[in-house]
Amino acid sequence: MHGTKVVIVDDSFFSITVLKDILEENGLEVVGTAGTLEELKDVLAKTKPELVTMDMTLPGTDGMECTREVHKVDKTIKVIMVSSMMDDEIVEESRKNKIAAFLQKPVDAEELMKTIRKVLASDELYQTLQADYLEVFKQAQVDNFKRLTKVELSYKKEFKSEAEHESQGITVVVGIIGKFSGRVLFDFKQETAYSLVEKMLKKEPTDKEEVLAVLREFANIIAGNACSMLNRKNKAYGLRVAPPFGLYGENVFLAVPEFKTMNVIAETEFGELLMNVGFKRGDD
Amino acid sequence: MNVEYVNPFIESFTTVMPQLGFQNVKKGKLSILNKEFVGNGVVIIVGIVGAVKGNVVYSLDLENAMKIASIMMMGMPISEFDEMPQSAISELTNMLTANAATAFSNIGIDIDISTPTLLHGKNISVTMSASKALSVEIVVDEIPFIVNIAFESWER
Repeated sequence: MHGTKVVIVDDSFFSITVLKDILEENGLEVVGTAGTLEELKDVLAKTKPELVTMDMTLPGTDGMECTREVHKVDKTIKVIMVSSMMDDEIVEESRKNKIAAFLQKPVDAEELMKTIRKVLASDELYQTLQADYLEVFKQAQVDNFKRLTKVELSYKKEFKSEAEHESQGITVVVGIIGKFSGRVLFDFKQETAYSLVEKMLKKEPTDKEEVLAVLREFANIIAGNACSMLNRKNKAYGLRVAPPFGLYGENVFLAVPEFKTMNVIAETEFGELLMNVGFKRGDD
Repeated sequence: MNVEYVNPFIESFTTVMPQLGFQNVKKGKLSILNKEFVGNGVVIIVGIVGAVKGNVVYSLDLENAMKIASIMMMGMPISEFDEMPQSAISELTNMLTANAATAFSNIGIDIDISTPTLLHGKNISVTMSASKALSVEIVVDEIPFIVNIAFESWER
């Protein structure tokens, strides 16, 4: 948190001074102040704040419009509303405008710092998860694939998922719930699915139902293992997996979720395996 | 299996749909699904963990999904089920399940929900580990939604 760049949006010289003193005393860097929408645009263009404190009543504009302006520039900037007014309507509006926290004036130094720490911690935790999750899921797949099939799996390529995904035959999805929710999906060509399941069962599967049951368990083990590994890295994730579901059909497309997911293609002796995984920022 | 577990969903439809420009919510047929669920058009699945574990599978046909998305987007005409209507329908099922989760917590069952997975296609078979699901039709302004509630702990 030390050195976090902050912009103060307020039209009162007194409030700006109070906020600036508290922030600087606690090691944050106030990189600019603004009292109008124009000044805010100007300061956002010149500085790259990570955090903005926002007053509600401003000449010619208001805290909600200014918050939208901040998020237009960069939606990862955290906005904390610091306002003398606070009612249900403002709180509801704040939620809609993705304001991270709300404090009432006169602001208490300790409360402000506690709120900032909380807001930044959640963001940092998400960044850490973003940096870590893919390797963990890949490792969980390699390890468990080997344990279940005695066969090695190697990765061929990985890329951000940008378009709808057409199921290649059988798809298994596991929802993930916790501090950040997400999902992991495994996609198999029908032939790949059957030969993989045959290897795991050490016999030919009796029917499609059995194939799906085994693949759901396969997905469950990988997802469960990966989430446990992540939880061991930081128990604040609190990740849990929902029961997997399997699906197949004709021309089945899976929509792009509203968060970034990564596709990883693995090469195996049964054919290609696709794993798609991603997590959503909690307050999106 | 507790048939009353459909009530939180009826409640959530009754709460959420009028906020989005719909008038009438009616409970339709209730049945028990012993096999996989087969849907045509749009299927949305939301995972559940907590006091009960499972999945909720929503299904409606493509034309009706576009009609609903259009009403949700203030009457914007929709001719293709692309990213915009997909996002509207995903958000709708997220709201419906979150509201149902609140209703469940009011009867002492605390659950958390995952982000929705939306798919579309023909003859989509969805299989889960729960061997039984409650399937209820909820009709919103003549548009039928199928809501399948598959909770694992019901089997014990």
